[in-house]
Amino acid sequence: MTSPAKADDEVVRAPRPQPRRGVSLGDAGPPIALVVIIGIFSLLSPDFRTIANLQNVMDAAAVLAVATCGISFVLMMGSIDLSVPGVMGASAIAVALLVANNRNDNDLGLLGVLVAVLLGAALGCLSGMALVSLKVPSFMTTLGVSAVGLGIATLMFSGVQPNISDAMLRGWAVNRFLGLAYLTWIALGCVLVGWLIQRYSRLGRYAYAIGGAEEVLALSGVKVAPYKVAVFTLAGSFYALAGVMVTSQLSAGLVQAGKGYDFAAITAAVVGGTLLTGGRGGVLHSAVGVLLVIVLQNGLVQIGVSPYWQGGVQGLIVVAAVSAAVLPQRRRNQVTK
Amino acid sequence: MSTPVIADPASNPAAEPAVVKGGPTLGQRVTSFMPVIALVALLTALTIADPDFLTQRSLTAAVRTSAPLVVLAAGATLVVLCGGIDLSIAALCSLSTVLFAMWLPDMGGLTILAVIAAAGAIGAVQGLAHVLLRIPSFVVTLGGLSIFSAIALVISDAGPIRVVDRDSTKWLNLYVAGYVPMSFFVALLVVAVVSLILKLTPLESFVKAIGYSESAARLAGTPVDKVKVAAFTVSGACAGLAAVMLASRNFSGSPTMADNLLLPAVAAIVVGGTAITGGHGSLWRSLAGALVVTLLRVGLPIVGVPSAWEQILYGAIIVAAVALTLDRSKVAIIK
Repeated sequence: MTSPAKADDEVVRAPRPQPRRGVSLGDAGPPIALVVIIGIFSLLSPDFRTIANLQNVMDAAAVLAVATCGISFVLMMGSIDLSVPGVMGASAIAVALLVANNRNDNDLGLLGVLVAVLLGAALGCLSGMALVSLKVPSFMTTLGVSAVGLGIATLMFSGVQPNISDAMLRGWAVNRFLGLAYLTWIALGCVLVGWLIQRYSRLGRYAYAIGGAEEVLALSGVKVAPYKVAVFTLAGSFYALAGVMVTSQLSAGLVQAGKGYDFAAITAAVVGGTLLTGGRGGVLHSAVGVLLVIVLQNGLVQIGVSPYWQGGVQGLIVVAAVSAAVLPQRRRNQVTK
Repeated sequence: MSTPVIADPASNPAAEPAVVKGGPTLGQRVTSFMPVIALVALLTALTIADPDFLTQRSLTAAVRTSAPLVVLAAGATLVVLCGGIDLSIAALCSLSTVLFAMWLPDMGGLTILAVIAAAGAIGAVQGLAHVLLRIPSFVVTLGGLSIFSAIALVISDAGPIRVVDRDSTKWLNLYVAGYVPMSFFVALLVVAVVSLILKLTPLESFVKAIGYSESAARLAGTPVDKVKVAAFTVSGACAGLAAVMLASRNFSGSPTMADNLLLPAVAAIVVGGTAITGGHGSLWRSLAGALVVTLLRVGLPIVGVPSAWEQILYGAIIVAAVALTLDRSKVAIIK
């Protein structure tokens, strides 16, 4: 856990000595915060410090972890992605209609999951294409693509809720292996794959570089645009898998499958130490962030705070985390849009 | 090749009049009248599809529906003109409907002012967070969005609250001169008054300067931070007024009532031709944009398009309109 984070640190550290202290602090901060929060909740609530609740937390983190994996790459580039609810909604309905269900005679099984993920990748690709070819800022393109995704989902939904009867997909949420649901293992696998992509593939390295200094990369002769599209496509497929997982949990496809996940994923990534300006953070940082967000959610409910506050708490955390991150450069950054 | 290149002005006519004063070409003039052209084209198309559409009754109903959207979009336009964005307007509006319904029994007629003031204050807090902490406006308002939704859910216990006293908002359901719905009249009044204030004071130059080049405006001595906070305050207050309109029309306040107005409001602003990069645009443009969006919303079922397409259309419109109006000479790198 620490060694890769450290290694990443080495990579970006050299050219920019100035913010080094803040960054190394930021790298150690989220895990420490996680331990502290777990400690506090364990003291406050006897229900919190049980093995069963630990399993709960891990299982509850699965969907968010997959979505956050995707958004981490986009944030690393310094872009933002608000298309999570749309992509998740579209893939959730798509997969529900493609595996065995009560609406039609499809029974594609794993192939259906694959098609849903490809749909998500296509939507992500759409965001990326609009970004690089129309030169529209990513928060606008992804807001638009989110609406498109929700529209597609509503079209496919067409008034009758598709309930799935596919044993495999339903089993993902119910069956356990070593105490954790299959979905949780899938999420862990996604984090691993995400980390490998980030660490060892050109795509991951360039995503970092684009976030750090896009001009430099472009002037070095790298064609940046295809990599941007590829990152959005990758992110879209992660969201789509998250949507499939929600369908598996609910045994039904819902248009609102991804509601709130956009903000939760951004929160998790930012809390984990990914800067919204790009060039820092990564999948493992975000994984810690996901645990932070979920532990906070779980713990607050355990000590009796209304679950309606969850979104508000996330909002406060994001604003606090972002302002803490920009605080060192506050004097320099006179212009904020 | 496509990334850090500063686009040459000739390739983006829509952004041109924003940069060069003086001779806009014919094409650019046409582009700047785009919202009005779109409005007329839509009206014509709808009338052809259904001749009954161009009657006084249906038009009255259409503008009445558009009133909250016009107010929301007008307020947020100020923030956009400053180069920022306010994504919290819809959530703040929902929260305000709840506040309105809850305060009405105690405060009576004063509730309207109280809600607008409260929403304005909340907007000001967001503006202060934006300028003092130097966080990008979309992060602040995205955070605000979820915080306001949470507060609205908690105080309303996640359900609608009935408006018990209908007398205090009765005037909003009246008609001016027999035809124009009062709520739309108020919306027009808001647009006119805010535009007039901008015109008659140095504020318009301030806002445009900040939008075109914030650092230059700062060096020139423009009170950048104050103007930005003021823009967020007006945006919040407008969300409050829109909430009063919604609550008076639905006779209830609910924590999710206005949530689906965010996309239409953003669409209205960009369809109107206000550049998302700031500087270029006006409230009148957003008014035209809001009418276009409303006509689309009302018109799609008339033409026989299922309402699910509405969402897809919004998405496409937003991206297309931003692409047309974006001032690319300003942003070398599009994130």
